[in-house]
Amino acid sequence: MAALSEWERRLEETALAPIRRTGPRFWALVVALLAVIGWGVYAYWVQIRDGLVVTGMRDRISWGLYIATFVFFIGISHAGTLISAILRVSNARWRTPVTRMAEFVTVVALVCGASFVIIDLGRPDRILNVFIYGRWQSPIIWDVLAITTYLTGSITYLFVPMIPDLALFRDRLGSHTSRWRGWLYRTLAIGWNGNATQHRSLASAIGVLMILIIPIAVSVHTVVSWIFAMTMRVPWDSALFGAFFVAGAIFSGIGILIIVMAILRRAYHLEEYVTEKHFLYLGYLMAAFAAIMIYANINEFMTHGYKLQEGVEFHFRQLFLAEFAPLFWFYLLGGLVSPIVIALLPATRNVRGFVLAAVLVTVAMWIERYFIVVTGLRVPLMPYEPASYAPTWVEWSLLAAGLALFALLITLFSKVFPIIAVWEVAEDHEATVASPDTARRAALEPSKLEGETAR
Amino acid sequence: MITITRRSVRIVAGLLAAGAIAVSLAGPALASHVLVQTTTLGEGTVGGTINVPVTLQAADGAPLQGTTVIFYLHASFAGVEGEAEIGRAMTDENGVASIAYRPRLAGHHEIRMEFVAPAGGEVEVTSTAIDVTGGGQLYRSPAGVDVPGVGVELLMVVLAIVWSILFWVVFRLVAIARGGGEVGTPEPGPGR
Repeated sequence: MAALSEWERRLEETALAPIRRTGPRFWALVVALLAVIGWGVYAYWVQIRDGLVVTGMRDRISWGLYIATFVFFIGISHAGTLISAILRVSNARWRTPVTRMAEFVTVVALVCGASFVIIDLGRPDRILNVFIYGRWQSPIIWDVLAITTYLTGSITYLFVPMIPDLALFRDRLGSHTSRWRGWLYRTLAIGWNGNATQHRSLASAIGVLMILIIPIAVSVHTVVSWIFAMTMRVPWDSALFGAFFVAGAIFSGIGILIIVMAILRRAYHLEEYVTEKHFLYLGYLMAAFAAIMIYANINEFMTHGYKLQEGVEFHFRQLFLAEFAPLFWFYLLGGLVSPIVIALLPATRNVRGFVLAAVLVTVAMWIERYFIVVTGLRVPLMPYEPASYAPTWVEWSLLAAGLALFALLITLFSKVFPIIAVWEVAEDHEATVASPDTARRAALEPSKLEGETAR
Repeated sequence: MITITRRSVRIVAGLLAAGAIAVSLAGPALASHVLVQTTTLGEGTVGGTINVPVTLQAADGAPLQGTTVIFYLHASFAGVEGEAEIGRAMTDENGVASIAYRPRLAGHHEIRMEFVAPAGGEVEVTSTAIDVTGGGQLYRSPAGVDVPGVGVELLMVVLAIVWSILFWVVFRLVAIARGGGEVGTPEPGPGR
């Protein structure tokens, strides 16, 4: 028991450490990210002042970098809620140290993604037109409803399991922290003291939320895909788009989760809790989704290519052979094939290997979103020369600012809120120690078990 | 006995030429003598159907049948002004050509009608006007397959269920907050 309480004390200290100690590197990172965001704000001001003419978008290619990034962010928002909820529903105990990070990623990605829609409007006041002139029959309205519901559900799903940990922060930090932090933890802990009534309410709330959030998350990316699939464009003419987008979202979500895990693990010394096992399991999951994506791509290209309706030949040529070929082949080989190869080879089946695979997947999935948007619009509707689109410095600046905002919000979250679900990790640890199977294995392999329980 | 002399040939040729010149000059003049009757359309509403008739008669009052009349509306779109063709119709046995017109915008609308009289010649033009009021949403996309219950109502039901569950979670949070005042044995698990 003494060993257990010592282990719990160490866990709590690890969770509290980011709040207690803030080094100069943290501030340097914040300043650097703010500088990028500041440059983005300037670019946005230029766009508002001069209009969307400062972007590369014109009448024929009217969606570009902004909408591609919006789809990308909504995709990676599936990292948290969906992955966390699926693992929670399936009672995968290994999930506990990573769920909180995943849920952070969801909320932050949704905020960043939604902001790109407003940026794409040109004049932000036009967002009101959605409410004034919106039609229920439009996928745009469905998208607004789905994302609003998903954001609300994700914030709730992030907050509810965090209540006991916020109470821990309230009690442990007490007067040792700033006044606003103390107020924040007191308020958000909503009087948690761990009695039986509170436990029942918490368990039922988490139980309902983890089931509810899965169909909401699936619906969000399905509806995002419908914005394309319900538009009369040959490359978007696909009934597979909904499933394709959801699979791609989970795929890229796992990729970004692995990257965030690796950074936070290193920054806050979480090696004891976020272990190689977590990278391996998520890496396998990512490889499985890579296989699903390959299947979906083959299905899509085979059916379109076999019929080769008007416009498809042009579309295939621009992707496989012409303008977009180098990046498209990178998406296919680097983004879809490499995670499987990395998972299969014993030499690369480790933290570094899967982090590399995750970076490749994240970049490739952004490229895929860009291609869906831009190459789809590029196919001429009438026999005229195809339009061209090249993002301007304003668009690249806002993309950089969006990514910087994503990193900044994750950084600030990690400095204010518990990045590890302390009570869930402790519960999992107690269950592992108490398990008769563990005791048996401990008798057989004492050295190996020591390492595992320490994780 | 009639003797055809060179002089008589000249006289006949001269008369024929004069006749041809007279006919060619008289053609447009005949067309311009078409009698045109338009009806004062008065007022209409946006989305309502208005019949726009025009009656063509020859100078002697006989109806002109089989003449095509083209109807134009002065329009402004995306900063460009011009005339848009809103329909064309052929006159019937009474000399009447008409189209059914649904105004999309409120305001004063000038409708111009063009036709070419049967004898050929220049284009004849006439016009009429209508004052349109109202401003309803006209676009209605017809459902290909209308499945009862699958529509906005279903969307509302789904949203209502999802948000009701989220509100139920809020009540659980209220229960947790209220439970904070209770003194009880802390359970092993989350929290202290």
